[in-house]
Amino acid sequence: MFAAWTVKHKPRALVEVVGNREAKEALVSWVRSWDAGVPKKRAVFVYGPPGVGKTVSVECLARDLGMELVEKNASDYRTEDAVRRFAGLASQYGSLFGGRRLILLDELDGITGAEDRGGVAAITDIIKIAQCPVVLVANDVWDPRFAVLRSYCLVVEFKKPPAGEVVRHLKRICEKEGIAAEEEALKFIATRSEGDVRSAVNDLQALAAGKSRLTYADVSWLAFRDRKEVIFSVLRLIFYSKSCDAAKRAVDMADIDLDMLFQWVYENAPAHLKEPEDLVRGMEALAKADIYRGRIARTQDWKLTRYVVDFMTAGVAMARQKGGSVGWVPFKFPEKIKMLSRSRAERALEHEIGLRIKRRMHMSANRAVKEVLPYVRVIFQSNPEWAAGLVRWFDFNEEMVEHIAQGKKYTKQIQKHLQTE
Amino acid sequence: MSFEMWVEKYRPKTLTEMVDQKEIVERLESFVKARNTPHCIFAGPPGTGKTTAALCLAHDLYGEGYREHLMELNASDERGIKMVRETVKTFARARSIGEVPFKILILDEADNMTSDAQQALRRTMERYTETCRFILIANYSGKIIEPIQSRCAPFRFTYLPREEQDRFLLRIAKNEKVQVGRDGLDAIFEVCGGDLRRAVNSLQAAASLGKPVTADVVYSVVGRANPADVREMVKTALGGDFSKARDMLREMILKYGVAGSDIIQQIHGEVFRLDVPEQWKVRLADAVGEVDFRLVEGADEEVQLSALLARLVEAGAKIKE
Repeated sequence: MFAAWTVKHKPRALVEVVGNREAKEALVSWVRSWDAGVPKKRAVFVYGPPGVGKTVSVECLARDLGMELVEKNASDYRTEDAVRRFAGLASQYGSLFGGRRLILLDELDGITGAEDRGGVAAITDIIKIAQCPVVLVANDVWDPRFAVLRSYCLVVEFKKPPAGEVVRHLKRICEKEGIAAEEEALKFIATRSEGDVRSAVNDLQALAAGKSRLTYADVSWLAFRDRKEVIFSVLRLIFYSKSCDAAKRAVDMADIDLDMLFQWVYENAPAHLKEPEDLVRGMEALAKADIYRGRIARTQDWKLTRYVVDFMTAGVAMARQKGGSVGWVPFKFPEKIKMLSRSRAERALEHEIGLRIKRRMHMSANRAVKEVLPYVRVIFQSNPEWAAGLVRWFDFNEEMVEHIAQGKKYTKQIQKHLQTE
Repeated sequence: MSFEMWVEKYRPKTLTEMVDQKEIVERLESFVKARNTPHCIFAGPPGTGKTTAALCLAHDLYGEGYREHLMELNASDERGIKMVRETVKTFARARSIGEVPFKILILDEADNMTSDAQQALRRTMERYTETCRFILIANYSGKIIEPIQSRCAPFRFTYLPREEQDRFLLRIAKNEKVQVGRDGLDAIFEVCGGDLRRAVNSLQAAASLGKPVTADVVYSVVGRANPADVREMVKTALGGDFSKARDMLREMILKYGVAGSDIIQQIHGEVFRLDVPEQWKVRLADAVGEVDFRLVEGADEEVQLSALLARLVEAGAKIKE
């Protein structure tokens, strides 16, 4: 059954909450101080960016200390009735069944003074006389609306946890889910989330759920996910602008690497240039852009970049002289980038094979895989005796033989020859 | 029974054994005589003897123990500044003991190095010139930064002429007791151009079927090793399906490592055989030549060849009108 990992793997105790040790300790000691009577600050104001564990820390705090948690969020403060109920709760220390009570007012940023009859002022009034611990949670404590409220509260800041701690958290989840994850992959997710643990966990689930392995290649495309919409509108601009200027501006809109944008344009331009003459002009413009890329690489003269931009934007836009709009065509993810993120395991094995070939044949593993492997495969599938000889010469292991021969039948025949000789 | 890839078994060991490339061999032999060599760039398409020439040069300079004075690195396996900084420097700065006062470092696929790494390499080359000579091997010298080019003696390798390739293949066939017919050689040349490595690999794969090597056998083997074929791609483009033609191109380049120069050569051969108006053939030849030149300059194979495919689509549409 589907369950959000942010819920399924939600921390159950404060120690499980990622990072923010000081803040958590401050919360515990403040709640403990209630044992000695109502403290000076009857409420705590917890603040910090989204997804760093503010709410979950309060929940764990209650569980750790065996308290009854009463949770409210912004939408619950809208009516006078709700505020009155809150006041009622806050006026008694104990709960109905004798345990102690902790009140959590979440998403305080959501209160807008005018609409909410209770509003911040009402909450402030209740806190002044609260008989049980109240925790307020918001992203920004320094919002002027909270100026008075703040002065009645102990202010506790939750910071973005460092990526390393987030990685550790993701690793724990992967262990529980039985996923073997590459450190690099988790690091990428953690770094990208910029300390937002919740979104990191969401990303992890989206990428890894149902898999037994998670590789760097599986996650690296995330970098474009958020910007996909932006890329699409940029591509539309490039393909359909009537003026050079408009097409060129597209590059400023797209906050992406120029090479990456080139790949997007190169992948998708043909589908939008249906007239052969337009197609020729478009592809030639891209070829020109590519020539300038080559010149830059060779001369290190980066100012030539402007011509790359000219051709890949304006050049492509002006290619359309005969044909009109082709209507809606789905944009395709660039093949070249897809190729690069092919399954890592398979590539790793091929690379190992390439390295064995390289040891014998004075060529890179890369080229060996492309140029020699296909012929070795033919030999493996047509002549087990020769194949066995090559297995020895190249020193291929069993896994490699199976991958090269691509078939149980061939593998068995080769193995037989290896044993008899 | 010992068995190996014929490419290695029959790889020339000394400069005199080299197949063709006469002018290059002569210049290299003069280096051997002088007991001195400059930094070199060996540029040219795959399978034309660049690596072999470098190994032979080292062999002839140092004699049988040449391996001790030689380091082979592959930029595409260990590219990046780190490779230059560590591996290359450590090797380059240690002095060589013996009659020849320097070592040789062969850097294969140097055109795959990032330009930052090339900059670092340039400084290393300069600093350790006395103790180490570099031979950079590349398909396209245009992808090597200019400061390095200007420090190296350039050697341009070209595809082998048909007769040389045939002679070499026949020698192997005789030695391995494989029957090869005329049409088999035709087929090998047709699909491999003058790429000797590919030709020898094709011969060996074809021979592994245990039958005489005929054209049919060669095509079936190459078809299995290399499913996309240039003629089919050209036909698809002329038929107006650009996307499919481009996919075929990609398969050849990205998956099977067919060299752009190889594809160009075959397209050029096709152009004059096409069923298009005569004026178009000239126009297309011009486009092919332009792309050929751009590749030499260091442009991207796939992007440039796609532009050429678009021209073929246009030609196809014009013919239909």
